Amino acid sequence: MNFSEYRRVRMPLSREDARSLRAGDMVLLDGEIVITAGLPTHHRILACMEKGEAPPIELQNGSLLHLGSYSQDAADGGLEILYMNPTTSTRFNPLMPRLIRHYGLTSVGGKGGLDAACRAAMQEVGCVYFSFLGGGAPLHSAAIKAVKQVAWNDLVAHYRLVRVAVEGLGPVTVGIDAHGNSLFESIAADATARMPAILDQLARDRAGA
Amino acid sequence: MAITYQGVKTLTAQLYDWSLRRIPEDTKEGLRRARQTETHPGAQRVLEIMLGSALRAEQTDRFVCSDSGVPVFQVGIGTNAKWEGDIKAAIVDGFDELVETIKPPLLKHVTNPLTNERGYKGKDMPLVSWDMISGADYIEFACQPKALGSGRWAAAETFSFPSLADIEAYVMKVVMQAGSQHCPPVIIGVGIGGSFDVAAKIASKATYRPIGSTNPEPVLAAMEERLLRAVNATGFGPMGTGGDTTALAVHVDYASGHGYTPVAICFNCWINRRTRARLHADGSVERME
Repeated sequence: MNFSEYRRVRMPLSREDARSLRAGDMVLLDGEIVITAGLPTHHRILACMEKGEAPPIELQNGSLLHLGSYSQDAADGGLEILYMNPTTSTRFNPLMPRLIRHYGLTSVGGKGGLDAACRAAMQEVGCVYFSFLGGGAPLHSAAIKAVKQVAWNDLVAHYRLVRVAVEGLGPVTVGIDAHGNSLFESIAADATARMPAILDQLARDRAGA
Repeated sequence: MAITYQGVKTLTAQLYDWSLRRIPEDTKEGLRRARQTETHPGAQRVLEIMLGSALRAEQTDRFVCSDSGVPVFQVGIGTNAKWEGDIKAAIVDGFDELVETIKPPLLKHVTNPLTNERGYKGKDMPLVSWDMISGADYIEFACQPKALGSGRWAAAETFSFPSLADIEAYVMKVVMQAGSQHCPPVIIGVGIGGSFDVAAKIASKATYRPIGSTNPEPVLAAMEERLLRAVNATGFGPMGTGGDTTALAVHVDYASGHGYTPVAICFNCWINRRTRARLHADGSVERME
């Protein structure tokens, strides 16, 4: 596959780059991202926030992506990630607006999108949502250049907070932009509006069958 | 000669392992066809990236998805099959051994629903359903790992004397609930009738049918066609970011029941992980997919 046609953006995104993206754009990511697939991890970050403590990995103006990974000790004494892939973001809906606002995140992501409350928080601070390919582990894993930091090792591997350097991660789709546009919301609204016509067509098909 | 504990242990572990590293041929073909007919430019690209991911998994012997799900087996025992040993325990022991040996290692996805603790072992894991196959002298094993992404959106509701319109409207309601969440394009299984458990089992079994196959029941064949058009008219598209391809197939089956009619609907995500093989009494393995 040739991905040369895609725009590349530097991670963590600058506020300016975040605001330059529009819902539906597809881009490749270069730089550093922070990932976790764990609900307990989100609760721990929120606990840090409430106590006024810094989380073990810097999140200010950063990216927090719903990607799960399997990391293990590497021969050189560092860590290596054997594979990485997105998880469903919507189960973090109730927690994300506070995280987005408090840390001024410039990008979040995963798969399946986030809700209207998250979209509003994202518009407020200038943050985008990247939709990753589910079932994309072979592609996403190949983009990993180095594991920079792993925190909360007491959690199962995919729940840990991990800082990763990536090159050419994606292509990812901008599912929600920093201007209040969400593909997930607009597509669901269109489908809902279309449903009476879809059910009418089913009735016509049944009558014709 | 008889089918052995060891044979079942080895094969079921292999079927799960194999299922993680490639997507079935019918599914790749379905994605290629969808790429040809898809009119949404972004969706065309997402479908291409999907096919690229599937190819790379095969070429590099990688997991297609980091979420290996939990192992789910459908076992069909031939009524003339002979076996020795505890073949039920063999499936559990095979999974336990695979967890120790598989490269790369699996993440801990087996979840205790009462505590949400995750590990590699749990009550009734692997999840197995048992059937009989009349006249066969083999045991057939099909493996279909299930993960939260698509498993989460399965639903069932019980109606009394529903019309086909009622049933189809319910399918569309469940499709709308799932929306962009289940890694579309999906394979949709619909089970109608029987009892609560039977409808769910029928829906799950229906997802194993090859994409592109025609339902032998004309009423259901017509229903599958119109439901597939209806699902794809929603516009959720690949990965739910828009397009004409929300489902690759809708497969419907039914059982007679009483008049209270459960309707069960389940989804497989686009990678549609599925393997199947027969184990014969001489120890030979006939790999089907």
